[in-house]
Amino acid sequence: MNTKLTRRTLMKTTAAAGVAAAFGGRAAFAAEEPLGIALVVPSPIGDVGWGRALADGLEPIKAAYGDKVKVTILENIAEGPDADRIMNKTVADGNKFLVAGSFGYQNGAIQLAKRMPDISVLHASGYMVAPNFSPFAAKYFQGTYLMGMAAAALSKTGKIGSVSAFAIPELITSINAFTLGAQTVNPDIDVSVIWVNSWFDPAKEQDAAKALMSQDCDVIFSNAQDTPSVISACEDAGVYAFNLNSSMKKYAEKTYLGCVLTDWSPYFKAQVEAHMAGTFTGANAFLGVEDKVVEVVDWNPDVPADMMTKIKDVEAKIADGSFSPFSGPITKQDGSVGVAEGTTLTDAEIVAMDWHVKGVSTPLPK
Amino acid sequence: MSAVEFILASMLAAATPFLLAALGELVAERSGVMNLGVEGMMALGAALAFIIVHNGGGHFLAFLAAGLAATALSLVFAFVALGFRANQVATGLAIGIFGQGLSALFGKSYEAMTVKSLPKMSIPGLSDLPVIGGLFTQDIVVWLSLIVTLVIGIAFARSKVGLVLRAVGENPKAARAIGYPVIAIRVGAVAFGGLMAGFAGAYASVVYTPLWADGMIAGRGWIAIALVVFGTWLTGRIFLGACLFGAVSLIGLTAQTSGLAIPSQLLSSLPYIVTIVVLGIISSNKRLLKLNGIASLGEPFER
Repeated sequence: MNTKLTRRTLMKTTAAAGVAAAFGGRAAFAAEEPLGIALVVPSPIGDVGWGRALADGLEPIKAAYGDKVKVTILENIAEGPDADRIMNKTVADGNKFLVAGSFGYQNGAIQLAKRMPDISVLHASGYMVAPNFSPFAAKYFQGTYLMGMAAAALSKTGKIGSVSAFAIPELITSINAFTLGAQTVNPDIDVSVIWVNSWFDPAKEQDAAKALMSQDCDVIFSNAQDTPSVISACEDAGVYAFNLNSSMKKYAEKTYLGCVLTDWSPYFKAQVEAHMAGTFTGANAFLGVEDKVVEVVDWNPDVPADMMTKIKDVEAKIADGSFSPFSGPITKQDGSVGVAEGTTLTDAEIVAMDWHVKGVSTPLPK
Repeated sequence: MSAVEFILASMLAAATPFLLAALGELVAERSGVMNLGVEGMMALGAALAFIIVHNGGGHFLAFLAAGLAATALSLVFAFVALGFRANQVATGLAIGIFGQGLSALFGKSYEAMTVKSLPKMSIPGLSDLPVIGGLFTQDIVVWLSLIVTLVIGIAFARSKVGLVLRAVGENPKAARAIGYPVIAIRVGAVAFGGLMAGFAGAYASVVYTPLWADGMIAGRGWIAIALVVFGTWLTGRIFLGACLFGAVSLIGLTAQTSGLAIPSQLLSSLPYIVTIVVLGIISSNKRLLKLNGIASLGEPFER
């Protein structure tokens, strides 16, 4: 079963549920109740983007368990008191498994988890952990490293860029790995970053992409944009572009470089099964190519074949754990040592990264 | 292309959504009515225009439908705020939220889709000039907006229509006494405001950023209203304010690629700061402000 709700219809159905409860109807549903799974996301879910990737991650669970699960999707829920209220409500409505799809839901969701020990909560991109509360994040940097290699091979100007949402570690690591990957092909590559300081403003994102193109950047990384704003502007200008989470190839048939895809389904399915078996334990999940969560797809055929071989080789090494993009020596933007020779950053160090590597020409906002 | 060339070439297009919406609001406010629903009217126009272009209706039809839909919404505002003399601020806010909701509803199945934009038209000769050449290569809507700006500016300064509109806004009782139908004129002004907001929304969704995403207007309607006030209800200043806002937003983005150590958060807030400061300075003349301010703005008219 699948009920897709917006805030508006939620109000209607909750009102209806209230009426049903008032007439004493609730107890009748108690037998054979399916596991209620609720996904809360901050933006509207379109054909593509972050919310779409999360929603798609729940599909295999629906396919595998049919009537035994009931998935509710609550989209366009603003972070803050609204989200807290709606998460409380959806749990009160009987949903026992909650996927809180935005960093800003953290405080409300963890309080809810502590108050309701029988529910399990997965929280995107956070750092707090509780016995029934697991933060999860993707190792996008593994994919952006490979993209950097391809970008440097295709760039004629030696300048590539990124339109990025906010200067938080998750996005910074993606840019750093993109730069490091590009440097393996062209050590002098110049990476410019424009921070739009907004999760959602398609017009501004497109302006930023055009500003990068005016500075001769000929490969652009759309870092954390939910709409094809950057990708379609790049197609119009004949500039290569790639993005994260879900493929936007249909918006840029010619110049789409590829997609660093996130497939959350293996993780979601394992966690839902753990909840059903009563073995759910809160833990930090940092998932990558090795977990089949991060995957690079829809490679542009323009990437030279010998480069593609090299990329596939590195991808295999990342998957078997013999290589990490953040292995030393790595120099910071200011010239100091970022990662010493012979050492590799741990997951904990990567998720806290607040510095750019040398080669990124834009200073990091403080 | 240098950064300066890029900013000059893109500035007018960036300013157009603000300019169109602000001009509409200017006409409404000049007649003494404050309609705060611009954001919602823009959103509704944007959604409808996108749906029409996406289904092959073409840009002309899209602008027409967007304008008419937003006009209809503005007439709902007029019906409540002018017909029943309800509080204009509250009614405008309600209409704005309603419009955003409607746009989300209509646009639901078009989320994150894209369409083709309009081609750019160059002014021969001028567009080949060094550095400033880009300024003369714009899409047709930009050119038409400039003409509309000029017409509205002249209408307020020189024509009888402009004079009557201002009279109704300054002193509705006196206007009524000499025989002008105050409410009808105000309804007309509000409807014009709706039409322009609809065009502004259409420009945002099918020309400037040719895609639909719920919430894509992202506060531009509010900036348009602010431009009217900071531009002290003068067409030229509103045009200047819109261009300034557009240009400084682009400067903020380009400056980040220059490697200057300016925090990007500051650059992002720069358009707001610069526009407020510049328009604040030019409107700091108290006497002039009083002269341009609209005496009966927001007050319901009772015979």
